Amino acid sequence: MSLDTNFMVKVAYTALQGIPVTLNIVLVALLISLPIGVLFALIRIYRIKVLEQFVKFYVSLVRGTPIIAQILIVYSAFPSLLNVIIGKAAFDINPIYYAYIVFTLNSIATLTEVFRSALQTVDKGQMEAGLMVGMQPRQTFWRIILPQALISAVPNIANATLYLIKNSSLAFIMSVKDITAIAKTEAAFNYNFLEAYLVVWVYYLIICYSAEVIFYLLERYFSRYRRPTKQTTGFNWLPFSLKQPKLTAKTDLTESERTNHANN
Amino acid sequence: MLTIEGLKKSYAGHDILKGISFNVNKGDVISIIGPSGSGKTTLLRTITTLEEADGGHISFAGIDNDFQKLNGKDINTIRRNVGFVFQNYNLFNNKTALQNITEGLIVARKVKKSEAKKIALEALERVGLTDRQNHYPSQLSGGQQQRVGIARAIALNPQVIFFDEPTSALDPELVGEVLKVMQDLANSGTTMVVVTHQMNFARDVSNRVIFMADGYIVEQGSPKKIFENPSEERTKKFLTDILSNV
Repeated sequence: MSLDTNFMVKVAYTALQGIPVTLNIVLVALLISLPIGVLFALIRIYRIKVLEQFVKFYVSLVRGTPIIAQILIVYSAFPSLLNVIIGKAAFDINPIYYAYIVFTLNSIATLTEVFRSALQTVDKGQMEAGLMVGMQPRQTFWRIILPQALISAVPNIANATLYLIKNSSLAFIMSVKDITAIAKTEAAFNYNFLEAYLVVWVYYLIICYSAEVIFYLLERYFSRYRRPTKQTTGFNWLPFSLKQPKLTAKTDLTESERTNHANN
Repeated sequence: MLTIEGLKKSYAGHDILKGISFNVNKGDVISIIGPSGSGKTTLLRTITTLEEADGGHISFAGIDNDFQKLNGKDINTIRRNVGFVFQNYNLFNNKTALQNITEGLIVARKVKKSEAKKIALEALERVGLTDRQNHYPSQLSGGQQQRVGIARAIALNPQVIFFDEPTSALDPELVGEVLKVMQDLANSGTTMVVVTHQMNFARDVSNRVIFMADGYIVEQGSPKKIFENPSEERTKKFLTDILSNV
């Protein structure tokens, strides 16, 4: 078996057009679902009547069904539904909007749980301290609690984003022309499927790896207050290396102070 | 200045406070001592509205009302006129030492940024931490964190500052620096109510000691009276127990 490298280069080139589509789906889904996720998490934490039940039901519904089923349902339900309202024009809508809908609905469920656990990691003493300096609960939430919760949430948001990127490849089912869809179409001419899929594989790897780096930098930036005068220089830039990142610790605290940190 | 009458609080059927009455005058430094579980911390938390009381009356800062009838505005008034120093510091983890102090001034009191910074630096100077103003809580030792906690309370210039076992979470060698700051505060006329296990502080710094047990105030009086000549059997036993452990 030999790989048709010329074809691979060609596919790689045409599939480039799919990258913005994929990123678009991911970004739209993330930007809409992040604030809604926070809101839903708050509804669950503060056990707001009726709404809490709704959120619980929604999260189970989304998490309990395969994304492919969600895609198929949205893609068959929405156009017919819109057909009733706006008539034939419903079938001219760019399918990417359906992709936005499915992946946003999906991310909301994931991020609700991410934020729920993150908000619960913030000590309730932080809220009390806010109240005792005269701030309102709402002010304390925005200025003290949420920034801290976001930091605990970053690794899990990164996780959710990676799943989102990979899941977005299923958008081809809705005839969205993302990376996967373009590669499949190209391959269909000469049945060079393996070559096309390898290109897809590499593209997703690059996108996911870039996302990882971005989230690593975000995490480092946001959690600067967590480090006691200690610099950790460690992201493993080589994806296939088994070497652990080297950690160097600089500190100007005395031994007893450090022990005290550990105890706190 | 602050008068509490018949304060009651129970958790899940357990009565924690069974009718507490006492008053605080301007300039008082009151130590509340007593065995653990006697309701000392709960007392502070109910007065400062961190916990809802089940009964009792408060007159403070122009409010003269039953605890259960306090509305949102009353609660804001109380919170604006008290300071609170927590056992585990509860500094805002995402703010520097300086920002911890300016936060309440700017957000709650609407003080101008430059003015807030000036007040905060003065407060930091009083606790001897001017050089740590840009450190985050995680970069400070426990004793330093608690001193920032105290600076945060005094910067708001409240009528009375409540201290909830301010040195209990500290390593023994760090207790001294916090007590020193509190002593300076007391000497400068700050009104303080301190729940403490530091008997030296209760005896040497405060002008009144309240001994609590099982949700009641068993007795109160001058440190001299409580430590040298307690009238209640319960007080004597507690003091003997605690002093024999030192």
